[in-house]
Amino acid sequence: MSAILLIVVPLLAAFVSILFKKASSYILLIVSFASVVTLNYVPLEVINIGGFTAPYGINLVLDNYSLIGLYIVDSMFFLVIALNCIKFKKLSTILLVSLAGLNGLLLTGDLFNLFVFLEVSGIAAYLITTTNKKPLATFNYLVAGTVGSSLYLFGLIILYGMFGTLNMADMANEIAISGVSANALAFPFLLMFIGLGVEAKLLPFNSWAKGILLSANKLTGPMIASVYAGATLFVFGRILTTLFIYSDQLVLVLSVILIVGIIAGETMAFSSKKIRGVLLYSSIAQASLIVMLFVLGITGWATMMIIVNIVSKFIMFSIASHTNDVLGTDEIEDVQGMFLNNKTIGVAFTVAALNISGLPLFFGFIVKMNMLTDLFAKDGYFLAAVILITSVIEGIYYMRLILKLWFTDKIAPKIKFEFSFQYVVTILAVLLIVFGLYASPVIALNDEVEDTIVYEGGIQ
Amino acid sequence: MLQYAAIVLIMLGLYGLLTQRNIIKIIISLNILEIGLNLFIVSVGFVTDGLAPIFTSINNSNHLLFVDPLPQALVLTAIVIGVGTTALGLALAKKIYQKYGTFEIDEMGEE
Repeated sequence: MSAILLIVVPLLAAFVSILFKKASSYILLIVSFASVVTLNYVPLEVINIGGFTAPYGINLVLDNYSLIGLYIVDSMFFLVIALNCIKFKKLSTILLVSLAGLNGLLLTGDLFNLFVFLEVSGIAAYLITTTNKKPLATFNYLVAGTVGSSLYLFGLIILYGMFGTLNMADMANEIAISGVSANALAFPFLLMFIGLGVEAKLLPFNSWAKGILLSANKLTGPMIASVYAGATLFVFGRILTTLFIYSDQLVLVLSVILIVGIIAGETMAFSSKKIRGVLLYSSIAQASLIVMLFVLGITGWATMMIIVNIVSKFIMFSIASHTNDVLGTDEIEDVQGMFLNNKTIGVAFTVAALNISGLPLFFGFIVKMNMLTDLFAKDGYFLAAVILITSVIEGIYYMRLILKLWFTDKIAPKIKFEFSFQYVVTILAVLLIVFGLYASPVIALNDEVEDTIVYEGGIQ
Repeated sequence: MLQYAAIVLIMLGLYGLLTQRNIIKIIISLNILEIGLNLFIVSVGFVTDGLAPIFTSINNSNHLLFVDPLPQALVLTAIVIGVGTTALGLALAKKIYQKYGTFEIDEMGEE
């Protein structure tokens, strides 16, 4: 089986689902499950579409890195769909298009093709967020997203004008051969960085995220904060390690943006009074941290960090959005003690929160510890210090949140969670603990990623 | 020369996006930005005295000077995507007008 099916089948199914409106949610469910299953049968290869080799044709790259990305993004996509497809029947066609777009984002090895998939998945995302019933927030998202991808396009066209190719690996080669100084490339790289930064919610470019995620429902919350954010970060990793070469100034600019992002994100999360607010600002900080790791060339653990984030944010955002859907509020003061009546959900939420703040026994701890070891080995003492200090802040606000949600002196609110939902979040939480205790497959996976991804760029 | 004009248009679009508080004007600014970008892309493939990149019975040799066809193909895609986002933006503008009765963001009483 060829990996191109992962893009073609959802697109075809999107057209078919228009014809069979009644069955559309089942088509969506089957196709999204099938794309997870298909991943077991696709060989690792570079696919030249139409038989045209690299600089002339578009190619899709399926290596260990994109395979991990596809596995995690597609499984999470399937879970979000499985929990929501009946309620959001009208969105089936759009969700199929967004699946095609996300798979394309993770697979493509061509810069312009990446722009197209960025827009395809972006337009699907704007339409998905209309279910929040906040058209103004969606409009802001649309404007920010379009400007972002336009800047990305601007950067890539400058690169095309300089090197005459759009293929990522080929362009990296051309850059190496031509001997153009890193300073001359800083401008197009910065444009591309900003363009992708809008989608990844990096700090100065994320004004849209507040409007969307603070009023997110059970579909948009996990979809935008977990699935989309994860896919964009995987793309970021690919571009930052394969293509970028860093001049000193570029590293300085990026480090300042990202470190300010980490600190500001954690501080805003600390002062936030809504559950979704805490989660939103914490994911802004995490996204900055992951991109920073990619810039420093700690690719493997950055990838693992994305996985930690996708899984934890899925659990927590689903619970927070469901709470808001039922009670009409997710102010921490109003929902105090909500886990007293829902112990399973409470345990899952607690595990996810402790996992993301990197406490021992959890998957997040293994990742954070190894990441810091790698950082020290590379003399990244300043960033290590920032990570340690922000981890303390993170630990404090997550602990405070968990304690408030478990204990109250007032009457605890009653929220009904469906059985299937409880089942899914529990399994995910158990997995987080299992891989926290049994770390050898994680470390093996990390080595595989580090071996695979092409080290043309990145500080070595 | 064309590049400078394109960059001026891009900057004009960005200026509009940053200063305008009217939904329709924001969409127009977005379009100006996209048109500037498309012009820039086409200008990258421009070759002085180049022929249109089509093989005909008269122009049938690889030694002739053609302009670069790839940026034109890219622009075609970018235009289609731009039209898609504009249409979606206008649909949202309609929804916003139904909800708030105005296109001015400042009069909507929301962040």
